[in-house]
Amino acid sequence: MKWSYMDHWRSPSPNGPIDQWQTYDSMDRFLKQVAAVGYDAIDTFDHRYFTIIDQYGSVANYQEFVQERGLERIVNTFHAAAYDQRNYAPHIASTHDNILEDFRVTMDRWSGIQLDNIIVMPATLYYDMEPVTEDKIKTTAELWNKVGAITLDAGVKLTCHHEFFCGIQSKEELDTFYAYTDPALVNLFVDTAQHCIASVDPVEFYEKYADRVTGFHFKDTRHQDLVGDYRRRPDAELMGTTTPRWFHEMGDEGGLVDFEAFMRAVVRNGYDGWLSVEHDKANKLGGDHAESTAIARWYAKNVLEKVAREEAAK
Amino acid sequence: MSGFRYSYALNQWRQSPTSFVRLEDHERAFKTLSVSGFRAVELWAGTGRWSNLGRPEHLRLNYGSSAGFVGRLAECGIDAVSSLTWDPSAPAAEEGFDLRSTSRPADHARILAAVDPYLDLLTELGCDRIVVRATEPAGRIGADLDVGAVASVLERIGSAAKDRGVRLAADIDCLSPLRDAAGIASLLDSTDPDLVDLSLSTADLVVAGEDPVAIARRHVDRIGHVHLKDSHFVDSENAYLLPGAEVDMLQGNAGRRIERWFFEFGSEAGLVDAAAVLGVLGESDYSGWVVLESDQSPEPATSAMLNAWYLTHIAAAGFRAAARTEEPAR
Repeated sequence: MKWSYMDHWRSPSPNGPIDQWQTYDSMDRFLKQVAAVGYDAIDTFDHRYFTIIDQYGSVANYQEFVQERGLERIVNTFHAAAYDQRNYAPHIASTHDNILEDFRVTMDRWSGIQLDNIIVMPATLYYDMEPVTEDKIKTTAELWNKVGAITLDAGVKLTCHHEFFCGIQSKEELDTFYAYTDPALVNLFVDTAQHCIASVDPVEFYEKYADRVTGFHFKDTRHQDLVGDYRRRPDAELMGTTTPRWFHEMGDEGGLVDFEAFMRAVVRNGYDGWLSVEHDKANKLGGDHAESTAIARWYAKNVLEKVAREEAAK
Repeated sequence: MSGFRYSYALNQWRQSPTSFVRLEDHERAFKTLSVSGFRAVELWAGTGRWSNLGRPEHLRLNYGSSAGFVGRLAECGIDAVSSLTWDPSAPAAEEGFDLRSTSRPADHARILAAVDPYLDLLTELGCDRIVVRATEPAGRIGADLDVGAVASVLERIGSAAKDRGVRLAADIDCLSPLRDAAGIASLLDSTDPDLVDLSLSTADLVVAGEDPVAIARRHVDRIGHVHLKDSHFVDSENAYLLPGAEVDMLQGNAGRRIERWFFEFGSEAGLVDAAAVLGVLGESDYSGWVVLESDQSPEPATSAMLNAWYLTHIAAAGFRAAARTEEPAR
C-alpha cells in the first residue's frame, strides 16, 4: 500500500504565505516534510511544467530532485484546464480539436518521466454546461475517448475526477458519462470529498465502477452542498454560501466520509495502485497544510492500513 | 500645495491564488483602509474566477454590477476607485493565455483588444486612471527591446483610454529594461505627453539604483500616478537581467536570496524618502493619486495601518486632514 501526496501547500515566508514552488528552498522543505511522515511519492499539476523548466531544466531533473529527498517518484499529474466556452469546453464539439492538441502537447512535455495517470475534470463548470443534457454528456464522452487514446499512446491512463461544481457530478450524470465512455480509454479517479459534497456516496459509487478506477483522492469534508452552491457564479469552490472551507484532511473530527468503509471496499476490489492524499485549501479558517498532511498520514498509517489488513485477512 | 489624493493598492491582500476571494474578505480590507484614513482603493488586473476583483466580468457578477461594487465600497467608507494596474504581457485564461509583448508590434492589436473590457469597467466605476506595465522583465525580452514599439502601443492604449475619460500612466518596474533614468527618459521622450503619463514607483526606482526624488523632479510634469512604497534593497548585482528574475530575484530563489524587497514605511532600513517625494509633488501642479502600495507584505492590515501612521506623523501632515471625517453611506 503506497501513498502519494497531492501538491497543495502553503507555508509562511517573509513576504506572506507561499506555495512550495516559490523557491528551491521552499520545494526542498516541502518534499522533506512529505517524506518525513511516510508518504512514498507525490502527485502534481501539469501546469507546473513552466516553473519546472525555469527552475529545474526538465521534468526528469525535477523528479530527480524529488527522489533525492527520499520520495519514489511523481505518480500522477492533474491537468487543471481553464474551461473557456469559446475554445475549451468538452460539451462543445467545435472546441475538441483545440483540446486534443493541448493533450498532444502536454503528453510530449511530460514524456521524460513515467506517469500512472493524467487526471482531468471532465466537464466545464456546472453553470457553463447547464442545462446538462444527455447529448452534452455524450459529446463530452466522445472527446475523452479520443483524449484517452492519446494519453494511452504515451503510456499514461486518462482518469476523470468529478469536482462537485463541474457539469457531471450527480449520480445520474455520472452514470450517463461512464455509459458513453470506453472503459479501455477513460478511467475514474474517485475524490471522496467531492462526491460526498455532491450527495453521491463515495463507497457505493466506487463499488459500482471499481473496475474502472485508477486512483483516489483521500480527502474529507464537513459539508454537503444542500443549497445549490455547485452552480454558483462565478465560483463555488471558495465562495460557496455553505462554507468558506469545503475540504479537510482525512481523520478530521466532523468529517462526513466513511474512510474505513471506503478502504475496505478498496481492498475487497483488489485495487493495487497508488493511494493519493489531498486536502486543497486546508489553510482556510486557520488551517495548516503541514499539520493536515501529517494528520492525514497518521490516519492512513494507524487506522486505514490496519483496516486494510483486517479486510485482506477475511 | 497641489491637491493630490491618497489611495491604497489592494494587491497586497492577494497573497496566493486562493486568498482574498470571498466578499467578506474584501469588506474587511475596505474597512481597514477606511478607518486608517484612506478614501480610495486601487484594483489590479488578474485572471480566473478567484481573481474576482481583477476581472470585470467577475467583479460585476460578485457585486451585481459595477455600481453595486461602488456602493459596497461606500458602505465601508471608501469613496472611490483611484486606479487599476494592468500588465499587457500577463497571460489570462479569459484571453486564451495569449502571450503578448508591448515591444512586439504584431501583438499590439491583441493588447488593445484585451484592455478594452478594463476601460469599460473603469468608466463604470468612475475611475480615471489605468496604470499599464510598460514592458515585461528584461530577462524575458533580452537585448531586443524596441522602445519605439513600446511607446507606440502605450500611445494607442492611452488614446483609447482618453476617449473614455481615462488617462494612462506607464509603470516602469524594477525588472524592466527601462528601469533606470536613461530608460525612463527614453520612453517619455518617445511618447505623446497628451496620451502617456509616468507612474512614479518609488520603491522600484530605489531597487533600480535610482533616486526617486531626482526622478520625480526631472519628470514632474509627466507624472500621472504614484506608487508610494519603500524598499530596503538595491539590485546592485543586476539580478533583474536573469531570465527568471520574477522568481530568482523578487522571490529570493537565487543570488542574494532576498525574499521580500518591498516594505511599508517607517522601518530603519527603508531607503525611500517619502516626505521628499511628496514635497516635490506638493510643489508642483500634481493633482492625481498617490497610491500606497505594500505588495509582498506578510501582514496586509499591519502594513496599511503602519503606512497610515507614517503619513500622518512623519511624511504628510495633510494626510489625516484629507481623510474621511463623515460617516460611511450605509
